[in-house]
Amino acid sequence: MEGSDMQEIVLKGFGEVVKTITFRIRRYDPENKELPKYMEYKVPIQKGMTVLDSILYIKEHLDHSLAARYSCRMGICGSCGMIINGKEKLACQTQVLELGKNLIKVDPMGNYEITKDLVPDVSKLFRNHETVKPFIIREEEEPKSEFLQTPEQREEFAMFTDCILCGMCLSACPTSASDELYLGPQALAQGYRYIADNRDLGFNERLNALDSKHGVWRCHFSGACSEVCPKGVDPALAIQLLRQVLTTNVFVKFKQKGTTKAPERKSVSGVS
Amino acid sequence: MTIENKKGWIFWFNPFKYGTDRWMYALHRLTGIVLGLYLMAHVWETSNILNGPVTWNKIMVDLDYPFGVHYGPYILSAILIAASYHALNGIRLTIVENGLLLPKPYRPEFPYKPKSLKGLNNVLKLAVAIFMLVICGIGIVFIFTGAIV
Repeated sequence: MEGSDMQEIVLKGFGEVVKTITFRIRRYDPENKELPKYMEYKVPIQKGMTVLDSILYIKEHLDHSLAARYSCRMGICGSCGMIINGKEKLACQTQVLELGKNLIKVDPMGNYEITKDLVPDVSKLFRNHETVKPFIIREEEEPKSEFLQTPEQREEFAMFTDCILCGMCLSACPTSASDELYLGPQALAQGYRYIADNRDLGFNERLNALDSKHGVWRCHFSGACSEVCPKGVDPALAIQLLRQVLTTNVFVKFKQKGTTKAPERKSVSGVS
Repeated sequence: MTIENKKGWIFWFNPFKYGTDRWMYALHRLTGIVLGLYLMAHVWETSNILNGPVTWNKIMVDLDYPFGVHYGPYILSAILIAASYHALNGIRLTIVENGLLLPKPYRPEFPYKPKSLKGLNNVLKLAVAIFMLVICGIGIVFIFTGAIV
């Protein structure tokens, strides 16, 4: 098959309007102090259009004042999380036609403060993330060589490194809905990610934040965070494993596995 | 200026659109609240024995015939269902919330179905359902007929 034929097949039906779908979007304008209200827009949908494309269509053609948060349009940056038809989804990864509805309700993420329209203020997420010290803690200030890690040791936390900080888990979490200070699935999963890392020695430093009233014990395993996670990070699993570590720690003190160091590097020029 | 957008405690009871675990969470909360209220009512009810046999018998009949209809067995059955669910699901949660019977960390693959909500966790959920059926079956037959199966 020639390249041009292939292109024809791929692009067949592309650009044609399949049907018109109504978007009911929650609007909030911080300048006039009105309560949020829903507004409806009719969008002609083409094959392959995502919810984010539709929102951008509305912004371009129907209502310029609509605000949304987005960046990469391919599910990497995690900026466009919103509640689409009642469930948290990345707008850029949700195909409008796959939803199979003629009315699509779009809400900003819950449990965050709203800056404008669909833009949540996610500073709470980053604050919580900071609380669990999401970095490797070592005693020495400047390591002289690499810390070795086997592939099996890396598998123990590799899946939790996929988090893109979209914050949808906090929006779906029923505990976050009623407890303002709860760290949330994202921060707790990241706490486990660093505790399970054999290069890290900061278990006791993180214990204060994790083993607290608003920390890991507030989770009731409803699994909503894992369900909405666009990267399959499974924060619920991380929280239960973290709980296992903390429970065992009461009887047998938790010992970081530690790592062997690579031989110290010596540069030829004598400057390390 | 930002505006508050908290989902609030009412969201506990909104498991629609989410999966089984979320539904079981909502039911666990609901049955917990119901059983808490029942426990207080139960303490009040049994404390009436101090007021003598006449009052006691009157209250027993009143509770068996609320609003003049014989609702007593139905209320007891509802309490039995709530209590058996809350107890059995509580055992399941004690197991999985300590990280037992859950999968080891794995590499997520598209379409990203979380494994912690499946596998042996699902087997436990099935066990909860089976035990509930047995307990409630025996209990409800006893409540209505007085016969021990």
